[in-house]
Amino acid sequence: MLFPAGLIRRAALLALCLSSLSAMSHSLQAGDELPVRPEAIDFGELTFDPPSATEFKSTLSNGVVLYLLQDRALPLINISFSFSGGDYLDPIGKEGLASLTGAMVRRGGTTTISPEELDERFDFLAAEAGAGIGGESASASLDSLVQNFDESFMLFMDMLRNPGFDAERFETLRTQVIEGMKERNDNGNSILGREWQALMYGRDHFEARQSTLASIESITIEDMRAFHKTIFHPGNLVIGVTGDFEVASIKKSLEAALDGWPAGERPAPPPAPTHELSPGVYYVEKDIPQGKVSIGMRGVKRDHPDSTTLRVMNLILGGGGFTSRITNKVRTEEGLAYSAGSSMSPNYYYPGEFRAFVESKSSTCALATKLILDEVERIRTKPVTQEELDVAKASVIETFPRAFESKKSVRDLFVGEEWRPHVDGFYKNYRNRVAAITVEDIQRVAREHLDPSKVAILVIGKWADIAPGDLNGRAKMADFFDGGVTELPLRDPLTLEPIGP
Amino acid sequence: MRSVIRGLLLGLLFALPLGAQQVSPEVFTLDNGMKFLLLPRADQPNSIAAGWVAKVGSVNERPGITGISHFFEHMMFKGTTTIGTENAAEDALLTQKQNGIRGKLRALHLGEQYARWKGGEIDDPWNPEFDTPEMTKLRADLREVQDEQREITKKNEFDQIYTRLGGSGMNAFTSHDLTFYFINVPSNKLELWCWMESDRLSDSVFREFFEERDVVHEERRMRTESTPTGIYQEQFDAMFWQSSPYSWPVIGWPTDLNSYTREQAQSYFDTYYAPNNLCGVVVGDFDLETAKTQITQYFARLERRDAPPPVITLEQPQLAEKRMKVTCDCPPQVEVRYPSVPFGHRDEAAIEVMAEILNGRTGRLYKALVEDQKIATGAGVRQDSRKYGGAFSFSGECQGESTPEMLESAWYEQLERMQEEQVDERELQKVKNQILASSFRRLETNFNLLLQLGYYEALGGWEYINHSPKEMAAVSSEDIIRVANAYFKPEQRSVAVYLRKEGSATPENAELARFTPESRGMIEQVQKMIQTMPAEQLQQMAAQIAAGREGAPPPGAPADIKEAFDYVLEKVTARLDEINEGGK
Repeated sequence: MLFPAGLIRRAALLALCLSSLSAMSHSLQAGDELPVRPEAIDFGELTFDPPSATEFKSTLSNGVVLYLLQDRALPLINISFSFSGGDYLDPIGKEGLASLTGAMVRRGGTTTISPEELDERFDFLAAEAGAGIGGESASASLDSLVQNFDESFMLFMDMLRNPGFDAERFETLRTQVIEGMKERNDNGNSILGREWQALMYGRDHFEARQSTLASIESITIEDMRAFHKTIFHPGNLVIGVTGDFEVASIKKSLEAALDGWPAGERPAPPPAPTHELSPGVYYVEKDIPQGKVSIGMRGVKRDHPDSTTLRVMNLILGGGGFTSRITNKVRTEEGLAYSAGSSMSPNYYYPGEFRAFVESKSSTCALATKLILDEVERIRTKPVTQEELDVAKASVIETFPRAFESKKSVRDLFVGEEWRPHVDGFYKNYRNRVAAITVEDIQRVAREHLDPSKVAILVIGKWADIAPGDLNGRAKMADFFDGGVTELPLRDPLTLEPIGP
Repeated sequence: MRSVIRGLLLGLLFALPLGAQQVSPEVFTLDNGMKFLLLPRADQPNSIAAGWVAKVGSVNERPGITGISHFFEHMMFKGTTTIGTENAAEDALLTQKQNGIRGKLRALHLGEQYARWKGGEIDDPWNPEFDTPEMTKLRADLREVQDEQREITKKNEFDQIYTRLGGSGMNAFTSHDLTFYFINVPSNKLELWCWMESDRLSDSVFREFFEERDVVHEERRMRTESTPTGIYQEQFDAMFWQSSPYSWPVIGWPTDLNSYTREQAQSYFDTYYAPNNLCGVVVGDFDLETAKTQITQYFARLERRDAPPPVITLEQPQLAEKRMKVTCDCPPQVEVRYPSVPFGHRDEAAIEVMAEILNGRTGRLYKALVEDQKIATGAGVRQDSRKYGGAFSFSGECQGESTPEMLESAWYEQLERMQEEQVDERELQKVKNQILASSFRRLETNFNLLLQLGYYEALGGWEYINHSPKEMAAVSSEDIIRVANAYFKPEQRSVAVYLRKEGSATPENAELARFTPESRGMIEQVQKMIQTMPAEQLQQMAAQIAAGREGAPPPGAPADIKEAFDYVLEKVTARLDEINEGGK
C-alpha cells in the first residue's frame, strides 16, 4: 500500500490499524535512480495491532494479578512487583518516610540475614535487586541470571517480606539524605523544580512537600516498619515477569513465595490539591549566567475528553522537538536557547499541568518568555496549518508501536493499567482517535485550556541582569502582568524556611 | 552457606569463558570504504535503531577551532540543497552574502576589538556591547540577510520528515574521539534512513550558521557555566591534560566558538566526513539482504577521500603533582586523577577489574569510606579509556564534618591495599560474575547495542564488545597488583578539592532558620559586632548575655529568646577562643 507522507489520508491511517504485522517490502531495485525526495519512497505497509492484556494475564490463588511475558533471547529473568501508595502518605512532620522506607527495604537486610551478607549474596549472584517508594506508587524488582534465579528470588522475597531495617544502615542513609539536602540550592534547576511545584500545587500538597532536617530526624525504625506494612503486601500488589522462564514453574515459585503473606487494605489514592494558582511573575535570585524560566498553568486529568487532542496540540506548540513552534522560534530562529519547549502532563488523579520552559542568558530571558507567550497566543487565536497537524498526527500514529517494543515495556504498560486503567479499547482505538483530530479541534482545546493571562512565570537567575531585557529593547520582564513581580525567597536547604532579605 | 557459595563459584567459573554472550553483526563494507555493522534482531519487532559514527571529535581540533566538531554536529541537522529550503540557488546566494558580512565583522573583532582588549579598553573583544558603530551597522546588515533567508528556509525540515514518518529519538552527540548520529525508525523505514543520512553526508548545507553559534553558547551556559561545578571541572581537565588535545572542552572555548567560519566547517567536513572515516550501525527488525541492497544504493554515492591526518601529539609524562582548590555552591568533594591507558591497551582489563572491586554497594570504597569510616556519602572510581590516552579517577563527596582531605587520604589507603595485598578470591569472583551478567544485560535494547557497537568501532574496533568480557574474566589478582603499582604514582596525580562556598545557603545560616525573624535579626547583628570587638568587650558581652538568659524575658520578647541567647553565647565564646588562640 502506498503511504504518501506528504498527504496523510484518513484511509491510510485506518488501514494501518486493521491488519496484523506484515513483512516489509521495498520498491527500489539495483540500478534504479534514487528518489528525489524521501516522500517518493514506497515504504510498503507496516501494520500493527497492540497486544491485548488478556494474552498475558493470570491470577494467583491469593488473588494477586500476574503478567507473564516470556522472552528467551537472553538467560535472564526480570520480576517486577508493583504497589500503590507513595509519599503522599507521609504524615505531616514526617516528610521523607515513604522514601526512607523504600530505600531501607533494600538496604537494611532481613530479620535473619544481616545487611552486609544480603548485599554480598546479591552481588555474588550478580542479581540486581531494588525497592523504592515514589510519589504515587512503589515497586520492588529483581533481575537475575536464570542459573541463579532460585537463590536470588528467595533472598529478594525475604528482603521484601521481612526487611531488617538495620539501625546502622539507617544512620548511614539518613546522613546521605541530609547531605543531599544541603545541595538543594546549588543548582538553579533544583530551585526551579521546588518553587514550581509550590506555585502549581501549593506548598502543603504532596507534589510540593519535601523533607526537612527535622522531619528526617523524627522518623524512627518503628515508623518505617509500620509504613512497610501499609504498602508492601499482597492486597496491594500486581506482579509482572519477563525473561527466560517456564510458565508453570514461575507460577509455582510465586505461589510459594507469597504463601502466608497476609493481605492488607489498599492505601487511599493521592489527594487532589486545593491550591489556586496565582498568575504573575515570580523569581528566585541565583548568581548564574543563564536564567531558568518556566511558564505554565494547571492542565487536565488524564481521562479528560480533550486529553489526546491536547497532546497533539502540544506537539505542534512545543512538545515535538525541532518540529514544534517554540523550539523553532526560540532556538532555531533566534538562537536564544539550547533548551526550549513545552510539555502537557495530564495526571490520573487530578488535573496535571502545562509547562513551557527555556534556559537563556540573563539579558534574553524576557525576550524568550515573550516569544513563548506569543506562540501560546497564536495557537489559541489562529488555526494551525493542515501540514503541521498532519505531521503531528502522523508522528503519534507511526511511533505508537514503540510503546510495545520490548517485553518489558509491554509488561510495564499492562501493570500500570491495573492501577490506573484507561477506558476499554483505549489502545486499540488510539490511532483512530488521533487521526480524527481536526485543525478546529486543536484551536478549540488551545483556547479552552491555555490562557497567557492565567500563567505563572517563574525565573531563577540574576534578576538585576534579567529584568531589563535585551540590548535591542525587544522585551523586558516588566512587559508581563503590568510589571508586577514577586520575589520568592531562597529557602534554607535543611528547614525550607525562607532565608535572606 | 559456605558450601552453597563454593558450589556456585565453581559453576560460574566454569560457565564464564564460554558463557559470555557473543555479538555477531554482519560486517559490510562499501567500495568507498564506509563500513556497516548490521545486526537483525527479530525479538523486538516493529522498530530499528540506526546510526552512524564519524571518527572525529575534539581530539582532532587545534587552538582557534576548538569545539568545531561539536558545532559541526549541530550543523548536520540544517538540511541539504533538497531539504530545508524552498530555493536552493537563492539560499546559496544569501549564504554568500552573509559570509561576506560575517567575514568583515570577524576581521574587526580579531583586529580592532582584540587591540582594544589588549590595551585594556574593553574586557571582552566579542561582547556586542562594545561594538563600534561600523560593527553595529554590519550586525544589522547581517540580521537583514538572515531575515531574508528565513523567508525561504523550511525550518527544521530534516527533523520534520523523520517525525512525520515515525522516526523517534533522533539525536547526536560529540565526544573527544567521535561524533555519533542516531534515530529509531519503524521497521519498514530503513530506506528512509538511508535516504536522509546519505543525503546529508553528500550534500550538507550549513544553514543558520551564525544563529546556531548562539545556540551552542547557550548550551555551554547550560551545561558548563550554570551548573555547580561545570566550569571547575573544565579547568581541572585543562590542568590534567598537558600536551594532549584532550585538554580543551568538547564544547570548545568561547572565543573559538565566536570565530568559526563556514570555510573552516566545510574543510572540516571534507577532511573528516569521508565515507572511509565513517561506520554505520543498524540493529533491530530488518531483513539483512534488503538492508545491504538499500545501503549500497544510497551510500555508494559518497566519494572516498584521503584518510584524515593522524593525531600526533600525545600526552607527556607527568612529573609533579598538580592540585587545585575550588569553592563553589557544591558539596565538599575531591577528585584524584591519574594518567592511565588508552582504549584497547593490554592493561585496560586489569584496571577495569580493579575499578569493579572498588566500586558498588559491596565494593571496597563504599564499605570503607561510607559505612565504616563514615566520611563520605558516596565514593567511586572510573577508568576513562580514550583513543589516544586514558585517565583513572577517584572521586568522593564528604559526609558531615569530614573534609576532602580526609577522603583523599582514605583513597590513598585503599590504593595502597590494592598495590600490596592480593585481592580475595571470592571478591574477584564476585566481580567476574557481574561481568558475565552484564554481558547479557547490555544487549537488552537495540539502541544500547547500537551505541556500544558504534562507540567501540570508532575507538578501535567493535570486536571489543566480545573481547572485553573475556579479557576481564582472565584477570588475576597478580595482574591487579601489577597495574595498581604501575599507574598510580603520587607525582602523577592531579587533585581537585571542592569546598562549599560560604553564603546565604550554608549550614551556618541554615542554623538560623529555626529562629523567629526577631531573634534572627538580633543574632545576625551580634555576629557582625563580634568580628571587630576586642576581647574585653567580648567578655562583657558574654556576661550580659548569660545574665539576660537567666532573667525573665522582657515583655514582647520573641518566644525563642532563650535559645537565641544560647546560640549567641556560643558564638561569642567561640570568637573569644579564636582571639586567644591567635595570641599564642
